[in-house]
Amino acid sequence: MTMEQLIQELKEHLIEELNLEDITPEDIDAEAPLFGEGLGLDSIDALEIILILEKNYGVRLANSAEAKPVFYSVKTLAEYVMQNRK
Amino acid sequence: MRCFVQRVMTDREVTTDLKQLIPDAAMRRRMSRVVKMAVSTAVECVGGVEQIDGLDTILTATGWGCLADSERFLRNLISEQEQLLNPTPFIQSTFNTVGGQVALLRHNHCYNVTYVHRGHSFEDALLDALMRAADGQGAQMLVGAFDEMTPSQHRIMERMGLFRTWKDGEGAVFALLTACQTEHSVAEVAGIDFPSEGLDAAAVHARYATDERTKVIWNDWSIAGCYPTASAQAFRKAVELIEQGTPEVIVYNAYQEASPAVIRVRWVG
Amino acid sequence: MQIVVSGVGVVSALGVGVEAHLEAIRAGRSGISKEPSVLRTTHRLPVGELRLTNDALKEQLGLPADQTVSRTALLGALAVREALADAGLQPHGRVGLVSATSVGGMDLTEHFFAPFMADDRSGRLRAVKMHDCAASTEWIAAQCGITGYRTTISTACSSAANALMTGARLIRHGVVDCCVVGGTDALSAFTLNGFKSLMILDSEPCRPFDEGRAGLNLGEGAGYLVLQRAEEVENPYCTLAGYANRNDAHHQTASSEQGNGAFLAMQEALQVAGVEPDAVSYVNVHGTGTANNDRSEGVAMRRLFGDRVPPFSSTKGFTGHTLAAAGGVEAVFSALMMRHGMIFPNLHFTTPIAELGLTPVQQLCEGVDLRCVVSNSFGFGGNCSSVVFTK
Repeated sequence: MTMEQLIQELKEHLIEELNLEDITPEDIDAEAPLFGEGLGLDSIDALEIILILEKNYGVRLANSAEAKPVFYSVKTLAEYVMQNRK
Repeated sequence: MRCFVQRVMTDREVTTDLKQLIPDAAMRRRMSRVVKMAVSTAVECVGGVEQIDGLDTILTATGWGCLADSERFLRNLISEQEQLLNPTPFIQSTFNTVGGQVALLRHNHCYNVTYVHRGHSFEDALLDALMRAADGQGAQMLVGAFDEMTPSQHRIMERMGLFRTWKDGEGAVFALLTACQTEHSVAEVAGIDFPSEGLDAAAVHARYATDERTKVIWNDWSIAGCYPTASAQAFRKAVELIEQGTPEVIVYNAYQEASPAVIRVRWVG
Repeated sequence: MQIVVSGVGVVSALGVGVEAHLEAIRAGRSGISKEPSVLRTTHRLPVGELRLTNDALKEQLGLPADQTVSRTALLGALAVREALADAGLQPHGRVGLVSATSVGGMDLTEHFFAPFMADDRSGRLRAVKMHDCAASTEWIAAQCGITGYRTTISTACSSAANALMTGARLIRHGVVDCCVVGGTDALSAFTLNGFKSLMILDSEPCRPFDEGRAGLNLGEGAGYLVLQRAEEVENPYCTLAGYANRNDAHHQTASSEQGNGAFLAMQEALQVAGVEPDAVSYVNVHGTGTANNDRSEGVAMRRLFGDRVPPFSSTKGFTGHTLAAAGGVEAVFSALMMRHGMIFPNLHFTTPIAELGLTPVQQLCEGVDLRCVVSNSFGFGGNCSSVVFTK
């Protein structure tokens, strides 16, 4: 899978799992922040994203301060998945 | 103890768009059907989301709570063998979700309690409101009741034989109450009682009526079907009868085997 | 009208009854075990579990083992029975019960649901008859002969503190003459997995208010108090002088950075009691051991008490977090501490939270004169409640 395909797939998972209404994958800027501004996600969404990564890509991520840069954007998530997927 | 009804509304009367009533998309997307139903009724009842600012009391009542989310989490727990569970249905399954979400919509820090005593939950919340009013803490009170029916709940109640005489039901009813009478007051909640034994219509009349034209309404589940907080629907009907000219209405509620509860509603002179 | 505590009853991982609790706390023995033994779960996580099976609890209540009763109701009945006996009160029609629970009969529903999911004609119906919260309250009332006004409150982890508040107001307004108040919650796979999914369970014994805290341990238990008018009671534990319920209104689960709800609840409860913050002798903090709660609660204490934060401790290192029961269990602890002149220690503490610099009481204190105690209980949905006891 290419990086672009993975980003597209991650966007679809986010929309589906987080119930993002009226948002299409095209609306999500892969480099924009996921939390606070941008999509405005919060701590509960972070937990759901951890599940998305583990269920779909077998990638384990702790909910810790070190994981914070990974959660920055769809792109950083995708890069982490690329490096760590099994 | 007494308080005044400014408005009372059921989920079926909500006409405003959900996105207007619950403007925060992040809150909306986590809400289950019953939470959307109850919160939107609450917001429409107070007259729009900004009006939440003025509330000093938020009281909710539910017999079953957020059943669909409870069930969703339980099903996942069993089928996934306790692994990789989504926390959202767990968070949203708590009984105080609706009260909390109403407060959260406008960051209202006021008194906020949820009563969960089966068929009495609504009367218990109303009693709390009367106490708040008597204590001078109930200038603007939101009091509401909600319950949702799910396929599993229906199936379980069916197996228990509860639908032999009544159809299943669900609904949300919210009332805006004030300690003092205002020009917009449509009725007065004049008292609540929890008699220790069941009463027949004549006994209810003899014990509670203060006027010969008083009407007694039985919470017979004919309005929105059989569910724990259905007496809130009967309360809604009582207020309607007052608006149409009945001077006093007594709502008598005996849910399943529970001991009864009585609400006395009067017209405002 | 002055309302006093005339009797207390408690059940938790420390055992059944006040004596078992005082003995364990004096010995510095925590009730947290390495993993559940009664609860059926795959998780190997520390819990504050009462190591008695439901059958053993039924035996203590003199019930046949084949009677279907939720664990929540069994724990509650044991504590209510003790509280009534302690108060020397024979229930009558003017005695009420305000009981709090968040899991209700979920322990039974869990057993019902697996077969029901496979086939909706299976699963024993009597197992779900106690699912709703009111079922435990009504069953406890029937067991203990309480026939007056009864209700159930569920505001997540602040539930029992609100039960104390409602009970006191019911007496003030003459709805009842006397009221048994508190809460009960059993461990369940539902709640254990719920908190696990939120990633706030510590895999070690919880460390409330410690810089290195990593979450809570789930517990179970019940704590009830008998509230009566002062003139009816000869030697009360203490006066329930103040209470307040305020909403943090920040997030469905997380507490605000500024501890708004906690601050407002403590402030108002003290105002109701007519007590200045300076006069508080001890605070039994909510102190779950999660990063978020303890920080937020600490900020609220700093805002209210400034540089003079009174001695405080979280007792959850002994019991785990008993959810809806916590406010009841900890109100019982507060009453016991006032009567016996003790402060129960905060276990497993080593380093203060850097930005707060708050150090809880770490050793059991005896011979202290507690004139005014604040007990905090906060929950999901932003619910924050504080109660104030005075002597």
